[in-house]
Amino acid sequence: MTKSQYYIPIGPIHPALKEPIRVEAKVEGEKIVEVDVKRGFAHRGIEYMGMKRNAIQALYLSERICGICSISHPYAFVVGSEKALGIEAPPRAQYIRTIIAELERIHSHILWLGVVAHEVGFDSLLFWTWKGREKVLDVLELISGNRINYSMYMIGGVRRDLKESHIKALKEMIDYYRIFNQEMKNLFLADPVYKARTRGVAQLSKEMALKVNAVGPTARAAGLRMDIRQDIPYDAYADIEVRGIVPQDIVGEVYGDAYDATLVRIYEIDQSVDIIEYCIDNLPEGKIMAIPNYVVLLSKIKRTKGEGIGAHEAPRGEVIHYFKYDGTRDGPAVWKVVAPSYNNINSWAPLLLGAEVADIPVVVAYIDPCMCCNDRIAVVRDSSGKIVDSTTLHRMAVEKTMRIKKELGVKE
Amino acid sequence: MTLKAEEILNILKNSLGDALIEQEIKTYSLGALRKRECSEVWIKIDRGAFRKAVEEIFKLDYPHLHFITGEDVGENLEVIYSFGLFHGQPGKEISVVIKLALPKSELVLPTITDLMMGAETNEREIREMLGVEFEGLKKKRHLFLPDDWPEGKYPWRRDEFGVDDMIKHTHKSVKEIRGGKE
Repeated sequence: MTKSQYYIPIGPIHPALKEPIRVEAKVEGEKIVEVDVKRGFAHRGIEYMGMKRNAIQALYLSERICGICSISHPYAFVVGSEKALGIEAPPRAQYIRTIIAELERIHSHILWLGVVAHEVGFDSLLFWTWKGREKVLDVLELISGNRINYSMYMIGGVRRDLKESHIKALKEMIDYYRIFNQEMKNLFLADPVYKARTRGVAQLSKEMALKVNAVGPTARAAGLRMDIRQDIPYDAYADIEVRGIVPQDIVGEVYGDAYDATLVRIYEIDQSVDIIEYCIDNLPEGKIMAIPNYVVLLSKIKRTKGEGIGAHEAPRGEVIHYFKYDGTRDGPAVWKVVAPSYNNINSWAPLLLGAEVADIPVVVAYIDPCMCCNDRIAVVRDSSGKIVDSTTLHRMAVEKTMRIKKELGVKE
Repeated sequence: MTLKAEEILNILKNSLGDALIEQEIKTYSLGALRKRECSEVWIKIDRGAFRKAVEEIFKLDYPHLHFITGEDVGENLEVIYSFGLFHGQPGKEISVVIKLALPKSELVLPTITDLMMGAETNEREIREMLGVEFEGLKKKRHLFLPDDWPEGKYPWRRDEFGVDDMIKHTHKSVKEIRGGKE
């Protein structure tokens, strides 16, 4: 028996990852036998900075925690702060918040679908899905003025109202995504190669999902019915009776693998479209801010002592913010952020054990990791001195897809 | 099976006895047009009873760990755990928030990673950010901070172990940097 154990570090910089993280794997042949994950490459000390600033500054700082879902953290921020400070947002503002959050879910899920298509070697599918994502980004730009970092939320309301022209654009968008999502279902879920490449990969059991504290679509793909919008309903979600989407409701069985994660995300786009439609049909009239004057708001924060926990179901899972306002300054005295990837990355180690090297990109991508949230390619050498660079790893993933394609007899 | 916040508090009261120092049930009404009540149980306990309290919570239902955080309050560190019970049932999730004071001379807590594997991330973060040792925690490598982070420096501490001397301008206002001139 020759020495067959090799050390393969992946990352911090790697094309399979949109952001930096390091997965250190020991492999025997193709099988992975030991895994360690090193985080923190994008740690910017945002919580520390937020504790030195006032609450409104920290709110817009929280928007910069995540590079993709720029409204999830502000949502948890405003919900938590409103609980701690005893402010209630007007109904219209609550509905507008929900609409923006669901628009974001649509673009984030489509982004993930594109990334996972790229990971298994379907690059034309990546470009096609991202072309479809432009529509929702255009609507967000129309409403907020930005494709990302919308700066819409405020403690006790929203900063911008929805106009008639926005609602018209939203209705057009709803019609567009009803058709587009149907096409996505055909392309992803009915495709035999995609199914063969993802079925059984990154399989997480229900018990394991509970143990590793998994959240969001990762937990729901494993059959756990957990969704903050359903468990602790807030804002317009309390009016709608949102239910978490789990594979057993759609196809009757749960595998908890990358295919189920795809299934859950695609059906959640449908759900988001329905929620947006409900919200614009039932949008209440009225003001959009509880305390429209920022000076008054800040002086109220300065006078208030209180603690609160804000939770929001972001596209990747639950975002939890803890606040303590101590009544001496106009910002949080303690601010703790827990993002979905913080918990979901826990699932990598058990999932990668026993998997193949060619599956690493899929396992790593399937939870839709967001390192900015969590933390806040290097040259890779195995012990023989051979360089296994990121291109090689991606090529191995594509080759496996090709092999499966051949075995299944799919013609280009 | 689900329980109400009052019932959970009673169970904890019975099993912890005198170790339960403070208790509160916070109720919020959430929602826009149809208001919903949402309850949270906030308790403050003696540090010695921590493991017992956690085991009691695990007996009720397999919880979801929301977060572990802490604050430097001078003499002590106040460590806060939040567990979500009965998740997965519409409108029934209840947060149980446990607070405990740790004197700075003895920053040790038992680990909960044997009950919940995923708590490792949270405990490793608290360990490097506040300097609390977890008895029984296996992996002790830095998680978020770099591997060459100086020993005895904890970013969330407000005393001499804090990082104020390592930071230049990020936490100061423009006014402070320019010496009082705007």
